[in-house]
Amino acid sequence: MSLVTAPQDTPVWVNTNRCKACDVCVSMCPAGVLAMIAAPSSTLGSMIEVVNPEACIGCKDCELHCPDFAIYVADRKEYKFAKITDEAKDRSEAIKNNKFRKLSA
Amino acid sequence: MAFNYDKYLRVDKMPTLWCWGCGDGVILKSVIRAIDKMGWDMKDVCVVSGIGCSGRFSSYIDCNTVHTTHGRAVAYATGIKLANPEKHVIVVTGDGDGLAIGGNHTIHACRRNIDLNHILINNFIYGLTNSQTSPTTPQGMWTVTAQFGNVDPTFNAAKLAFGAGATFVSRETVLEPQKMEKVFVAGFKHKGYSFMETLSNCHINLGRKNKMGEAVQNLQWIDDMTIPKKKYDALPDEEKHAFFPTGILKQYENPEYCESYDKVIEAAQNNTKVKM
Repeated sequence: MSLVTAPQDTPVWVNTNRCKACDVCVSMCPAGVLAMIAAPSSTLGSMIEVVNPEACIGCKDCELHCPDFAIYVADRKEYKFAKITDEAKDRSEAIKNNKFRKLSA
Repeated sequence: MAFNYDKYLRVDKMPTLWCWGCGDGVILKSVIRAIDKMGWDMKDVCVVSGIGCSGRFSSYIDCNTVHTTHGRAVAYATGIKLANPEKHVIVVTGDGDGLAIGGNHTIHACRRNIDLNHILINNFIYGLTNSQTSPTTPQGMWTVTAQFGNVDPTFNAAKLAFGAGATFVSRETVLEPQKMEKVFVAGFKHKGYSFMETLSNCHINLGRKNKMGEAVQNLQWIDDMTIPKKKYDALPDEEKHAFFPTGILKQYENPEYCESYDKVIEAAQNNTKVKM
């Protein structure tokens, strides 16, 4: 079973048992909240991670486009989402150009 | 609280057998949200699927389900609907299932205008059996059975359904899950045959040999060739061939088959003839 009620102060959370690392959610995210990280135990060698939760705008594009019922977004009552900024847009572009992988700090 | 999909799923069957990034999962989610919006009791819903990747649909959704033989899903569903006219029957077929081997069943169910909700998942290839040419494969594409490029003209499923007499015809893509959900709700509400074509991706068996091996690239290819119906209607005629219009394409009223069949039952009981 997946958790459907948002944990404390969490805008977006992932059921990693179901994620197949298809990159679709990362490609849909407009604010660079999500990115893939290396995960040798996963079939495709990568796994989703919520890298910038504070930038989440709550558009739910990742949840709607996830084919594997793996990613969930909090309700607007449960979490106060941020507004989209130019920095977030640039980060989102950078992650997409980095083959959907997490940017090295 | 996020939408609780698990309530409608056979959780012990998760994760799904579909490849990573497969659009079938997005369609399954949209169907679940549409059923939730309709407020149907899952005991009154029957999902019928055939063979193919789309056939797995009936394995994951927790209601009355029938996984039938190749191409015959519509035939089985017709029987289920005629025997239980008050139940809601959803048929899920793929492009090979519903247009090639089962094309005959599809057109005759359209002609009868029986109250079925037919979701045709069109991924432009026979995905399950590894890339054979399907009726909807675009011209010039590499497939196992057309190694130098496919020359067969492409089938337009929505036009076929309308020509055959379906009273609700729509087309959506997996790129717009919310629009897809709205169209499904409209189709479920419609009395008569609802033919809902849904364009999906198969980056594994269509994409890898056709320069779109990632799910994201395949989705971009679908995005580039679809256009909302309003914009499509405004295009000049010579540009229309390059695009698929999306949205509700046709909707009109016609006598429904289960209601017409009630007249036969009445006539048989009274030993008279049917008045049409």
